[in-house]
Amino acid sequence: MLRRTASALTVIALAAGTATACARSAPDPADAARSRGPITVWLSNNAQELQWGERMVADWNKAHPDQRVRAQNIPAGKTSEEAISASIIAGTSACLVFNTSPASVPQFQKQAGLVPLNDFPGGAKYIESRSGSLAGQYRSEDGKYYQLPWKSNPVMILYNKKLFAKAGLDPEHPKLATYAQFLATSRTLVRSGATDAAIWPAPSSEFFQSWFDFYPAFAAESGGSSLVEKGEPRFDSPAGRKVADFWNTLYREKLAPQELYPGDALADGKAAMATVGPWAVAAYKDKIDWGVVPVPTSDGRPASEIHTFSDQKSIGMFSACKNRATAWDVMKFATSEKEDGAFLDATGQMPVREHLASLYSGYFAKNPAYKPFADQAQREVEVPNVAGSIDMWQAFRDAWTRSVVFGRQSPSSALHDAAAKTRTILGEY
Amino acid sequence: MSTTVPTSGAAVPADAPTGSREGRRGRAVRLAVLLVGAVAFLFPFYYMVVGSLRKVTAGDLSSAAPSGLTGGNYSAIDGALSLGRSLVNSGVMTAGVLLCTLVLGVLAGYALARLEFTGRGGVFAVLLLVQTVPFQLLTLPLYVLVVRDYGLGDNYAGMILPFAINSTAVFLFRQFFLQMPASLFEAARIDGASELRILWKIAIPMARPALLTGALLTFIGPWNEFLWPFLVTKNADMQPLAVSLAGFLSNLQGTVSNPTGALMAGACVLAAPAVVLFLLFQRHFTHTNIDSGVKG
Amino acid sequence: MTLTQSSPRAATTRPGAPAGRRRGHRRAGIGTLFVTPYLLYVLAVFAIPLGYTVWISFHRFYFTAPGAHAPSPWVGFANYRDVLTDPVVGRSFLNIGIFLVINVPLTVVLALVLATALNAKMPFRSFFRAAYYLPYITASVALVAVWQFLFGSDGLVNHALGGLAPDPSWLVNTHLAMPMIALFVTWKQLGFFVMLYLAALQNVGKDLYEAASVDGAGPVRKFWSITVPGVRPATTLVTVYAIVTGANLFSEPYLLTGGGGPDNSSTSPVLLMYQKGIEQGHPDFAAALGVVLVVLVLAVSLITRKLSERGN
Repeated sequence: MLRRTASALTVIALAAGTATACARSAPDPADAARSRGPITVWLSNNAQELQWGERMVADWNKAHPDQRVRAQNIPAGKTSEEAISASIIAGTSACLVFNTSPASVPQFQKQAGLVPLNDFPGGAKYIESRSGSLAGQYRSEDGKYYQLPWKSNPVMILYNKKLFAKAGLDPEHPKLATYAQFLATSRTLVRSGATDAAIWPAPSSEFFQSWFDFYPAFAAESGGSSLVEKGEPRFDSPAGRKVADFWNTLYREKLAPQELYPGDALADGKAAMATVGPWAVAAYKDKIDWGVVPVPTSDGRPASEIHTFSDQKSIGMFSACKNRATAWDVMKFATSEKEDGAFLDATGQMPVREHLASLYSGYFAKNPAYKPFADQAQREVEVPNVAGSIDMWQAFRDAWTRSVVFGRQSPSSALHDAAAKTRTILGEY
Repeated sequence: MSTTVPTSGAAVPADAPTGSREGRRGRAVRLAVLLVGAVAFLFPFYYMVVGSLRKVTAGDLSSAAPSGLTGGNYSAIDGALSLGRSLVNSGVMTAGVLLCTLVLGVLAGYALARLEFTGRGGVFAVLLLVQTVPFQLLTLPLYVLVVRDYGLGDNYAGMILPFAINSTAVFLFRQFFLQMPASLFEAARIDGASELRILWKIAIPMARPALLTGALLTFIGPWNEFLWPFLVTKNADMQPLAVSLAGFLSNLQGTVSNPTGALMAGACVLAAPAVVLFLLFQRHFTHTNIDSGVKG
Repeated sequence: MTLTQSSPRAATTRPGAPAGRRRGHRRAGIGTLFVTPYLLYVLAVFAIPLGYTVWISFHRFYFTAPGAHAPSPWVGFANYRDVLTDPVVGRSFLNIGIFLVINVPLTVVLALVLATALNAKMPFRSFFRAAYYLPYITASVALVAVWQFLFGSDGLVNHALGGLAPDPSWLVNTHLAMPMIALFVTWKQLGFFVMLYLAALQNVGKDLYEAASVDGAGPVRKFWSITVPGVRPATTLVTVYAIVTGANLFSEPYLLTGGGGPDNSSTSPVLLMYQKGIEQGHPDFAAALGVVLVVLVLAVSLITRKLSERGN
């Protein structure tokens, strides 16, 4: 017994030692591009999205029994970006990930994790005909598409009507257009004891958290500027400083807490407002009675002039995929006019299509709650699609938490430092 | 230094002058100190158990009292991260580490102590060297080697590999075998017994208490380990409980109605096996080689 | 390390010697066979990764999909320069310092006091011993969950303190977050050191106490002049162990203070290695940081050992 165990273990150790020599290799791109067969796709764990995805996959499988698609949740991890990145290194990613953040695309691309969609006949043309003028910003620096821009969630300010009423505020006409109004309303909400927090974005320093505090406000205040344009950081500017001061006031006066809320503060009634996209409409339907207003600006511009962050997600095809021809067909199937309509219907999130409002006019007529979001979808700002984008967001976030959230540096000098660091990063790549 | 420390189990109190007035007062002070200590150590455990059983788990003062009890938190955490599956993963990982540590450690320790072969001094030097480099330095390259080159991501072998041999354990087993009388082995060899037979029939039975201590101390490591399995398991079906509970702690709490209660329930389940083992084998935990964890 | 001093070398008689030449050869083969798994293991899990880390730290490097060959040019000490000029890295090392300053004295004092109290015939003695040992054997993840609950801004501790509760609360306060981690680790590991001191106390000669009693020394003086010097080896071990623990901190800042927060005030080098190397995709930076960390740890442990040897 012992002898057998010992020799078995020796073999295992030997195998582990020699495994280095026979490293796994990626599928040959030319063969894979033509190959058809079963594939796996990953869906985000949003309940409504999952429901749509499973139904879509079932429909596909019914029509293509020889090319079965298996749908799974994106693996667990602190963030899906981290889980996807880990799967690229391990060579275990799914063929398609229906929740690829455009900010991560340059990094995934650098890791040789993504398949350029131009490789498929008519690939670029399909993307451009579906998304029209919106498509251009998702093209990578080498001119290829490594993602199919799928859906966006233009973020707005959602508020809890009941808590507003409890604080003695008019829940139908909240005063939230200018910074002064927003702050005054927040003070009333918190000091009346109606709620713990006026608004409760995550104060932590993950690179993407700025997408739900700084970036929408900056898009609005700057009239649609991106974080970086033409190789220059744009946030070390009067608009950026105004936004930083505004949020700094919220934190300083404890209208926004410095602690991370372990859950959904708006749904739990701990915060009166939140920066969210239209996905929230379905998610909060039975939880709170909500209203929606555009992101504030210092001078209270009209809603029709306000830009916001798109919170867009793409579909990426990953290089571990062996049956890429099937994957490409599934990608087109899932983003057809019919499926986009079904997706909008199920989730309330906006497919990245031109003339969305007229294409699905029936839906918006039936669901007036989505109207403000559909209008907002006309004026969206995307994250810049440049190499090193995660490093830039991280540099920015570190400066933001240090100054705006925790007040250990003046916001304007922190923005200045972050801009300098961003220039270094842009120079490095 | 440390291995020469006698077993505390056999401790003879150094100064216990009972009877005198000073002695009685001293005893009272000791007892008071010990009680305060025990409360500080045990209260969080008590709070964890109570929190896991309450319908509403909040932070106010009344929350420390066991009232409004329910088992709902346990089914909630089970629903959120499928406890059974996580426990099996923890168990497989721990058992794998234990088996490898014991079998390979005993083999290497025996060879180093009782067999002569070329390069023995070199192996012993390697053994000492390995113990001085912290595992954390190796985490990152090991991660990429194991996950990409060895192809062991989301795999039990990948979880076990970095802990499969514990150099400290090899060292300890060598010590045990060295302390046995050499004449025993010589006699067996003259009788023509093979080394495996000597190891199996003579050395191991004699080292049994030490092996038990080794096994118990080895158990806590992988059972409680977080960083490594967290890195190599991204598939929720493969994650050991410590990892899936940490995942719940950082981003799944919105999915249940009493998140804190569910979290406490998960913490209880994670803590229970180690605590039970400890209570059963308490004597062996405080054995001679208590410091073996130091090099862990 | 410390173990080598005590290895009973006397017991190392020549194994297999009387068995004759031919037989000796066969035994030698078996010896090699027995240590082969261990050596292979050291190669796969220690030597290769160690060499790989050092190699990565001198190159511009990032992880790619299997089979993809990305250029990784030699960059000399550029990664080390980045590491040493990064203020967050500085902060993480400062945090180890804060950890040591709190953990070592607190552990020594509390463990020694509790061990001394335990070192007598007491009612419920084994109950106390078990109670102190409990946190040591329990998973960090479980204990972190309870501490987060206890010390959260709406937690039991703040409710008990009422107006005296710190604001911002314990774990989100830039001044308190790192001390809280040090306190947590001290609490978790104290039981281990209580047992260690308890064992060390047995080594302190009873006759010394008796002689001191004859000289009329009170319990306090006996404690300071006999007990404390008598357990010095254990105290050295506490220090060395604290350095190793401090250098390895990960799950506490990752979970207890939400990723080394607030504003990196409780970050640790290993957490940074994880964030930079895996979350942010800069394994070259992380590898250089790892090498710096290990060099520092080895240097500090060596100095501590030298100092304590001189002390003896």
